[in-house]
Amino acid sequence: MAPVSERAPDAAAVERAVAVLRSRLDARTAAFLSSCVRCGLCADTCHVFLADGEAESAPAAKVERLGRLFRRHHTVLGRLTPGFVGARDLDQDALAALATAAFGRCTMCGRCALNCSVGLDPAAIVRFARTMLGAAGLVPKGIRANADLALATGNNMGISREDVLETVAWLEQDLRDTLRDRSAAMPVDRAGARALYALNPREVKFFPLSLSAAGAIFHAAGESWTLTSTDFDITNYGYFAADAAEARAIAERLVARAQALGVEELIVAECGHGYRVLRWEVPEWLGRPLPFRVRSFVEVMAEYLAEGRIRLDPARNAARVTLHDPCNLVRNGGVVEEQRVLLRAAAADFVEMTPNRADNYCCGGGGGMLAASEHAAKRVEAGRIKADQIRATGAKEVASPCHNCIDQLMELNKAYQLGVEIRTLAEIVADALVLPGATDR
Amino acid sequence: MSVGLSLPAIVLIVASVLSLVGFFAIRVRLGAIPPAIAPARGRAGAGIAYAFTVAFAPWAKESASRHLPSYVAGIAVHLGVFAALARLALSVVGATPPRLVGGVLALVFCAGLACGLALLVKRAADPRLRAISVPEDFFANALVDAVLAAGLVATLRPGALPAFQILGAALIAYAPLGKIRHMLLLLTARRALGATLGRRGVRPQARRDSGARV
Repeated sequence: MAPVSERAPDAAAVERAVAVLRSRLDARTAAFLSSCVRCGLCADTCHVFLADGEAESAPAAKVERLGRLFRRHHTVLGRLTPGFVGARDLDQDALAALATAAFGRCTMCGRCALNCSVGLDPAAIVRFARTMLGAAGLVPKGIRANADLALATGNNMGISREDVLETVAWLEQDLRDTLRDRSAAMPVDRAGARALYALNPREVKFFPLSLSAAGAIFHAAGESWTLTSTDFDITNYGYFAADAAEARAIAERLVARAQALGVEELIVAECGHGYRVLRWEVPEWLGRPLPFRVRSFVEVMAEYLAEGRIRLDPARNAARVTLHDPCNLVRNGGVVEEQRVLLRAAAADFVEMTPNRADNYCCGGGGGMLAASEHAAKRVEAGRIKADQIRATGAKEVASPCHNCIDQLMELNKAYQLGVEIRTLAEIVADALVLPGATDR
Repeated sequence: MSVGLSLPAIVLIVASVLSLVGFFAIRVRLGAIPPAIAPARGRAGAGIAYAFTVAFAPWAKESASRHLPSYVAGIAVHLGVFAALARLALSVVGATPPRLVGGVLALVFCAGLACGLALLVKRAADPRLRAISVPEDFFANALVDAVLAAGLVATLRPGALPAFQILGAALIAYAPLGKIRHMLLLLTARRALGATLGRRGVRPQARRDSGARV
């Protein structure tokens, strides 16, 4: 049996999508859909359009894919004179085209929203389109599989508790050896710790260096912290699928785990969408504020630096380094300056790419695109804008406080022969740590 | 000021009432946007204020800074529409603007009309823009242009005022039905996005360091 995303939509799928459009359209998205004047001035604010130059990649074109359906079902003229206002019924072809627009041409990075002449949010419209597509069974199979695995096992890679404990045990030993300090620890499941450090599963499986870097920084700052061996996953592929119930169910596991450990704060490892979901979206889904504070590890590290709890020597990172701004952390999350403060203190030659901060371009791997293998070619093509930005800085290293972006940047590094090293912020900060009097205790 | 209302003025009033009812129905159907729950990092109010002030500046968004002719044309058309609505409101009570104001109005109508026609030509000529256009885009633009033209003529020749009023009534009555509805719904849209960006501390933000091409 073919995965759902590879099957052509059938009539029942069309009906399910229409039912979502009729019954679940929220006021905010409806206001956005009602306000687009199709001026087209958003086109060259989008990295996908800039890279491929195709009319269908312009944000207005993606909005219009849903706009036509919206007018048919939610406006008077759309019902009476559909041809005049360009309204149309949803059919199998339109549904398939909507799937390509929403999953294959948009990372929901929100750069077009900051630059829309009217002031609407095309990313919110694309997210609603994804909700319709989810009802029709047209979520890319990779996103679907990751969400299902997270629901079944507590993390999107199906990593077992035993594997977590084993990995952390050798990381702890390695940390003690590196710091020459027997008191250095990577605590797991420690009830009563002040903060829970929650992870992207990729750290456990593929990038343990970023996890040990966090351990070194927490140790240097004298933090009371813990990891958790279960339900540690900050990623949320239900969010990418725009399935609110599923996204909420995935997030609730981590929320429940943090509550069980009794922590005051949930520190989100370097993951853009993980931060956005836990910091900004989960309280809305649950209908209540979370009983603990949620911050990105980037914010926490910057606070350690400001309070003098860690000291950094920039000479230990001599290579020129530039910074990629993850869309969900920066443009959609508001964590803008902290990473810059850290890099100025931890690297001798930090240069900004242009543009930067909230105006930075998406790497091309956001919105679940990395998991949507059917759109891989478009993803790498759309990354050309980011590759050009990096090359223009002359940097040898690229810092990115997001594991999702790091995966995409590593691929761009090969595809566009950039010859740079891609690193998390924690790795750069950990390399610059000045540790007083480390001894074998 | 005349004592009785002319027929075109009555038509204008009826059209305005219908328009208000239409917009009210849309707003009711839209429903309320629930208040945000996550603790704020910035201020929603600051984001909303930004959305309705600085964000309109030509340097604030790439849609303006990279497309200055279109931005200027859009501003001119909208100024023309606002001037037309003001002139129509005055006409209902039979007031005539002083000569100097009339001269300014004529200039505003003239600029708005020229820019409206230019945008119409752009929509028809640009393949990318044509690809996302629908017949109503051309109709709405033409309707606005017709009102601006009538406003210009009525300013220069007062005898044409009834025609201006009738065309104005058509525009006002049509507004809730088609794309011109953005004139009110953008207030909701802009407020919603401004509040989100403000709460998250994304906007307002000093842009001088961002390197954005302006």
